[in-house]
Amino acid sequence: MVVEVTETEFASLVSERAADPKRQHELLELLREDNELYDQRGAATTARMRGWVLHNLSLCSLTDEALIFVLEELDTGTDPYLVAAAARALRSYARPTSAFAPFVMRAITHIRYRNEPVSFESYGEYGDGDNVTTPVQELLTTLRWLGANAEPVLSELEQLRAQPDRLPRTLLASIDEAIKAISGKEAVDNDFCCSLPLGLKDRFSWTSNSRRGCEPVESVIFEDHNNELISFGDFFQGQPSIVVFFYTRCDNPLKCSLSITKLARIQESLLERGLADKINTAAITYDPEFDSSERIRGYGQNRSVQLNTRHRMLRACDGIDSVRKHFRLGVNFIESLVNRHRVEVYILDSRGRIASVFERIHWNEQEVVERAIEILHEESEEKSQARNKKNATASTLGTMASLGVAFFPKCPICWAAYLSVFGIAGFDRIPYAPWLQPVLALVMLINLASVWLRSRATHRMLSFCFAAGGAAVIIMSKLSHGGKKFAIWGVLLTLAGSVLSALGTRKKRQLGKETEGDSWFFDLFRRDGFTRTKDQTTKSTA
Amino acid sequence: MTTKLKATKKSKAKSAKPRSTRAAMSVATSDKETVKARVAAMAEVPLAVCESDKDLQSMLSVLRDQAQPIEVRLAALQSIQAASFSVVAFESCRSDYIATLRKVATDPDLEMRQRVLGILAREKDGFAQRKLLEGLENPEKELVPPEKALQLLSYDIHAEAYPIARKIVNNPPNEEAKREALRLLAADAKSAPVFEKLLRDKNETAEIRQVSAAALQGLKPEKLQESAREILLDDSDYDEIKATSLTALTQFGDKDQVNKDAALKKHVNRISTKGGAKVKRTARQFISKYGR
Amino acid sequence: MNVEVQINNSINPKSQFVSWAPSPCRIRVTNPSGAITPTVTIRLSSTSAATGGAVVFRKGTTGAFSNTLTLTVPIIGTSVPFFVAGKFGRPSSSNADVRIDARFGTLLAGSVKVMVRIRKNANNLTPAERDRLVSAFAQINNQGAGRFADFRDMHTNVTSPQAHGAPGFLPWHRAYLLDLERELQSIDPTVALPYWRFDQASPNIFTLDFFGVSNSVGTVSFSPTNPLQFWRTDGVPGINRRPFFGTNTAPPGLRTEAQTLALGNAYPAFRTLEGNPHGSAHTSFGGFISSIGTAARDPLFFLLHCNVDRLWAKWQRQFGRFDPAVAASFDGAANPIGHNLPDTMWPWNGITTPPRPPTAPGGSLAASPCVSAPGPQPRVSQSLDYQGNVNAVSRLGFDYDDVPFS
Repeated sequence: MVVEVTETEFASLVSERAADPKRQHELLELLREDNELYDQRGAATTARMRGWVLHNLSLCSLTDEALIFVLEELDTGTDPYLVAAAARALRSYARPTSAFAPFVMRAITHIRYRNEPVSFESYGEYGDGDNVTTPVQELLTTLRWLGANAEPVLSELEQLRAQPDRLPRTLLASIDEAIKAISGKEAVDNDFCCSLPLGLKDRFSWTSNSRRGCEPVESVIFEDHNNELISFGDFFQGQPSIVVFFYTRCDNPLKCSLSITKLARIQESLLERGLADKINTAAITYDPEFDSSERIRGYGQNRSVQLNTRHRMLRACDGIDSVRKHFRLGVNFIESLVNRHRVEVYILDSRGRIASVFERIHWNEQEVVERAIEILHEESEEKSQARNKKNATASTLGTMASLGVAFFPKCPICWAAYLSVFGIAGFDRIPYAPWLQPVLALVMLINLASVWLRSRATHRMLSFCFAAGGAAVIIMSKLSHGGKKFAIWGVLLTLAGSVLSALGTRKKRQLGKETEGDSWFFDLFRRDGFTRTKDQTTKSTA
Repeated sequence: MTTKLKATKKSKAKSAKPRSTRAAMSVATSDKETVKARVAAMAEVPLAVCESDKDLQSMLSVLRDQAQPIEVRLAALQSIQAASFSVVAFESCRSDYIATLRKVATDPDLEMRQRVLGILAREKDGFAQRKLLEGLENPEKELVPPEKALQLLSYDIHAEAYPIARKIVNNPPNEEAKREALRLLAADAKSAPVFEKLLRDKNETAEIRQVSAAALQGLKPEKLQESAREILLDDSDYDEIKATSLTALTQFGDKDQVNKDAALKKHVNRISTKGGAKVKRTARQFISKYGR
Repeated sequence: MNVEVQINNSINPKSQFVSWAPSPCRIRVTNPSGAITPTVTIRLSSTSAATGGAVVFRKGTTGAFSNTLTLTVPIIGTSVPFFVAGKFGRPSSSNADVRIDARFGTLLAGSVKVMVRIRKNANNLTPAERDRLVSAFAQINNQGAGRFADFRDMHTNVTSPQAHGAPGFLPWHRAYLLDLERELQSIDPTVALPYWRFDQASPNIFTLDFFGVSNSVGTVSFSPTNPLQFWRTDGVPGINRRPFFGTNTAPPGLRTEAQTLALGNAYPAFRTLEGNPHGSAHTSFGGFISSIGTAARDPLFFLLHCNVDRLWAKWQRQFGRFDPAVAASFDGAANPIGHNLPDTMWPWNGITTPPRPPTAPGGSLAASPCVSAPGPQPRVSQSLDYQGNVNAVSRLGFDYDDVPFS
């Protein structure tokens, strides 16, 4: 959505925010690439606007949240104005730390051959004379500010100084001052001396919850490097994936070209670890209209990317807006062209949900691989636990089912047996019914008889012993004074006998066909020569 | 005669021995020398600016000085620009060089402005882009003609020149401007339908149709192949665009599709003997690749 | 009686290209019928098409070349080595326009066609040579989607310190041209990069059928028959090039060839040609070619640099500067990385850690079916002995029409 704000208005808006301590945090929103204020702006305009925000941040005290944007610019920036602004902004951070030094030195390496005058006198000024500075000048000043904290890069700086013919003479003094500042002071001894602030230390974060409610993208169709169509769901669901965003017309070699080169290295690493079939990789273009299959294939191949069914270069046939929203991509456009984007790589879990994000600062290939492997293992673990749980449940259920089957009365006699157990035991709770006693006694006898027959059939007399013992205890408990408390033991013994009887399987006999699980009932007829197979009952002629 | 020969020998000897950089530099920056001598001296000293800050500042000073003859100033620009190719050696000069270029971008001399804005535009300099866009939006502020401004803006496909380019395509101040606007729009994938339409429009000039073909080939090659085919089969269309169409199909055509297209091949076969010289030539190349 | 002749020690048709520097060859008997002795005498000679190339022979690695060569070849099939070279001054104009005949007495026992493939003055190419070149360029560009994008990406503002302003300037560009030329030859093996002789008028280059005609704005036009009309780089079609001189003349202010060769007999002095004529040639135009970051977008860039390389080759020939061990052949002072003799050169070395650029587009240097040098990751030192003068295996497989092999 194009927001009609002139650059002058934008500059005023920024200055106002910067001047108001309660609104300074709003400046961070203005550094997000996808902020609507950058929509339909050219790259140079976007650089002016962002640079002005960074410059205003340098007038405040740089917060931890803003730090990532500054370091990003030092890490991958190639615009002199932005790099200079970032160098200045860094100096407004409360605590110099040696972790900043490599960023500053890297920025010098990247920008030194594009060193040019910049001005922060007012918005939109370009250096052409007085009151100008240069990005290298600002970076050297920042090294001086770091002082002894920049010791890790001292030797690099000294090497730079050893090339006096190449550097502007005006900068030689600045280099000397920086070297002096680094060598002279003792490093500040604090908890933060060597590490980035906490918010940056973990440069990836769990975002699975934060993306809830994002536009679903399972049905978005992509075309890959071979013109094959595949949906998001089909490619990204099933196993974890590492996803990089890029476009072929990116003119910052520190961003897309490097990201795709690193993707190739990630693929190598996965292959070495035998995980190339277990973790997908994908590169999705921000610019699907221009980046045809042929273009993205060439771009990937020229950077040694391996391309096959699990590792693809992709362009969204439609639904690129959904993809943008789903990932909350750090990108904006002038017409169909990207005007600026951040470095971003995502790790998706096997359900295609975002599990990790590496953004802004260039990511380390091995870190990304390790993270993806963690996710893979965690998912395996979860699956394994789920499987165990399922098995346990199944076996518990199975056991319970077996017990249930065992306990379930399969015939009138069983019914009688149960009745005899519970009836006799609970006899005295039933209101007086004289006719019941002999009935229940009879039922108990029937139970005993049925258990006996079953024991004979299975050749396991233990169940009959239990049942008989139980019956004996029940009778004794009824007959003796003070023996009622033993009735429960009689019940349990009878119950045990019934269970053992029900669970005991008849030995399989070879009767032509397997006759597993035959009812004992048929054993009664066996002597008559009947045989039974699974599907038929035939009279044996044996 | 002898004197003449001696003099000739002497002058040959003189020209054979190159003068020192110091001597050349002295001539180049001296107001007392002729324009011709100074221009020749400027050509000898490109790397001097990399070695001496004083020489750099002298040359930049000549470049900035509007009182100096324009030929000398342009020669100074060319010399420093030549030195800029020695990137490592030029590192010490770049910042001052860019600052001077920005100052000179509004020079009274059109040629100077064109060259300087060209150099800056190739660096994707935001200052230059802003000046060029301002000139296109408001002709009173234009520093170079609109066709030149569009051409320079096309050095950065991320510049915000697309809206103005579209306006110019629809209402061009001249044919050159329209052509440059189209070249610029060729970076925008969404412009493909515009190019398809222009390519098929027989009322457009050959150059416009040729630019459209090139643009469409890059954005939607399958559309160009379709259009090229129709152009070729249309006997009323012009030889120039037919030749372009044949070249496109020969170089970049989908081999399988073309090989199966008997009607097209038959038609090309016919025009290979009956068409104009350019059509015949490209038709023969087509036949050589795809057969009759 | 049949014999097999291998050019560049291969029967691969793609290896049947020679230059002025001698190519190692082999001959062997494949069918000894008619032979009554253990060895046979085979006489090698060549036949040239009209306006075709010509070759000469010699038996060993030293000695004079001759138009014919007689060899004793065992009939059991053992190969016998010999050398073939293009006859200086007689390059081919089309593929296989020289036939090498092997005769056993009067019987033609075998033959092979070769091309004497030489880098020529672009102004003097035949229409067919010109058309093959532009077609190959158009193919490698492939309207912006082709392999040319890597060559363009090798020569940008970010990457330029690898190749400019220090002694590695000439070696790096020699490798760059060689890589591109080999890629062009994989499209059309008859193509060799020509040079733009910028100190002379070259009107035939700046034509609609060749590298185009610039209008007043500096946009280059091509004939509708010219495939370069579809040239595209950085997403934009066309070429911006505005000559500051009449293309019927040479650009003014450039050092002549003689002046350039007279810069000095040691490399540090000679390489100041980077300023003039090299830099001056670039800035004789407005447009792509006049700024380092965009120069490689114009295919004329490669012809310009081919001439710079030819000047180096000529200087090497004049002063005998092929051997890296000879101090004057190079600048042995401590130079930035990539500019010292033992250094490998980016991007072919694939190194992307600082101070090298962050990516290395295009991979290793293209191989050739004719020669093995310089290998996929060339060193600076390997650029010097391009004809194999010091060590025959160092031969890079190209030659210039006016720089002989001694």
